[in-house]
Amino acid sequence: MIEELISIQKAHVSAVLATVVDGGKDGLVQSGAKCLVRDGRIQAGTIQDEGLQAAILKEAEARLQDERSKLVSLDLPSPGGKVEVYFDVMLSPPKLIVVGAGHIAVPLAKFAKLLDFHVTVIDDRILFANRERFPDVDEVTVGDMAETLKGISITPYTYIVLITRGHKYDEPCLREIMRSAAKYLGMIGSKRRVKACFHRFKEEEKFAEEIIQRVYAPIGLDLHAETPEEIAVAIIAEIIQVRRGGGKGGSLSRH
Amino acid sequence: MDDIYDQIKEFLDKGETLAVATIVSTRGSTPREVGAKMAVTAWGEILGTIGGGCGEADVRREAIEVIRTRKPKVVQVDLLDDISSDSPAVCGGIMNVFIDPWWKGAEETPKKDERVD
Repeated sequence: MIEELISIQKAHVSAVLATVVDGGKDGLVQSGAKCLVRDGRIQAGTIQDEGLQAAILKEAEARLQDERSKLVSLDLPSPGGKVEVYFDVMLSPPKLIVVGAGHIAVPLAKFAKLLDFHVTVIDDRILFANRERFPDVDEVTVGDMAETLKGISITPYTYIVLITRGHKYDEPCLREIMRSAAKYLGMIGSKRRVKACFHRFKEEEKFAEEIIQRVYAPIGLDLHAETPEEIAVAIIAEIIQVRRGGGKGGSLSRH
Repeated sequence: MDDIYDQIKEFLDKGETLAVATIVSTRGSTPREVGAKMAVTAWGEILGTIGGGCGEADVRREAIEVIRTRKPKVVQVDLLDDISSDSPAVCGGIMNVFIDPWWKGAEETPKKDERVD
C-alpha cells in the first residue's frame, strides 16, 4: 500500500484512499481495512467485501469531484448495516504556468512554490528566463511563448498567468489557452487595454462571451498593489480564491 | 505534507510500527482541516502536524498506545475545554482523529479470518 501511495504522489495523479474507521456493530468489516482507488478502479487494498467495494468506488468518484476528504457512512448491502469510511482525497498538485519572466514573475513564482504549486516559467528572453532568476521553480522554458503553450498539457489543475512585457505578446498566448481546461486564466493589463482586447476577440475572432468571461483580466484581487511584489500578492491571492472556490476577497472584519 | 508517505516508508522498511493520525471530521473552529495527518513513532517522534498544542499531544499519547496494541481507534479532541488556557491551539472546536497502526506486512495478515469465531 505505501508503495502505491508514493507512486501516486510521484506521478502527480489524483486518487482516493478509503479507510474503514468504524466497521459497524458486529465488526462487519475490520476497522483499518483500506482500499486505494485510482482511475475508477481499485488498485490495492484489504477490503474484500464486494458490496462495500462497489459502494466505495461510487463514493470515491464523488469525493474526487468534490475535491474534499470526508468521513462517510456507507450501507453494506449484505449482511446489512452501516460502516464508517474515511475517504482521503489525494489531488494531483496544482500547476502554475507563468508566461513572461519579468519583475512580477520572480516573487509570483516564489509565492507559488511556498504554496506547493508545480511552477513553470516561460519567456522568449534567456536573460529573463533562467535558473539564476528562478532557482526554485520546477521548469524554466525559453522559446516563443504562444508556441510553448501549445505543447504544454493543460488540465483542470492548471493555473495560467499571462504577464509578458506587452499585449503584443499576451494576446497570442491568451488565444492559445482560452478554450483550454485550465482552472484559472489571468492576464495583466489596464481596464482599457483589456476591454479593447476582449472586444477584438469577440468581434473579429468570434469568441463566445462565456469563453471570454473565464479570463481574469485585469489580473489579481483589488489591493491597490503598487510594487511588483505587491502585484504578485494580488495575483496569488486571486489564485487561492479560485482554487478554494469562494470568498469575496475583502477583509474578514469589514463588509 | 506531500512527502509524509516517503517518511513513513522509511520507518516501515526498518521494521517499525507507526501510527498514522488523520483528522477525519471536525465541528466548529479547528487548527487544521479534515485530511491533516501526522505519523507517530513508537518513541513518540512526530512527522507532520494536526495542529499542534494540547490536542496534538493527546493524540500522540493515544498513538503510542495504538502502536502497542496494533488496533486502530478514533479519538475525539475537544478544543472547547481549555478555552481559558493560554494554549496557542485554542480554537473552540472539536475534531475526530482516526489513529491507524501501519507496519510492513500488515496487508498480508488474513484480517477477514481473524474475526471468524
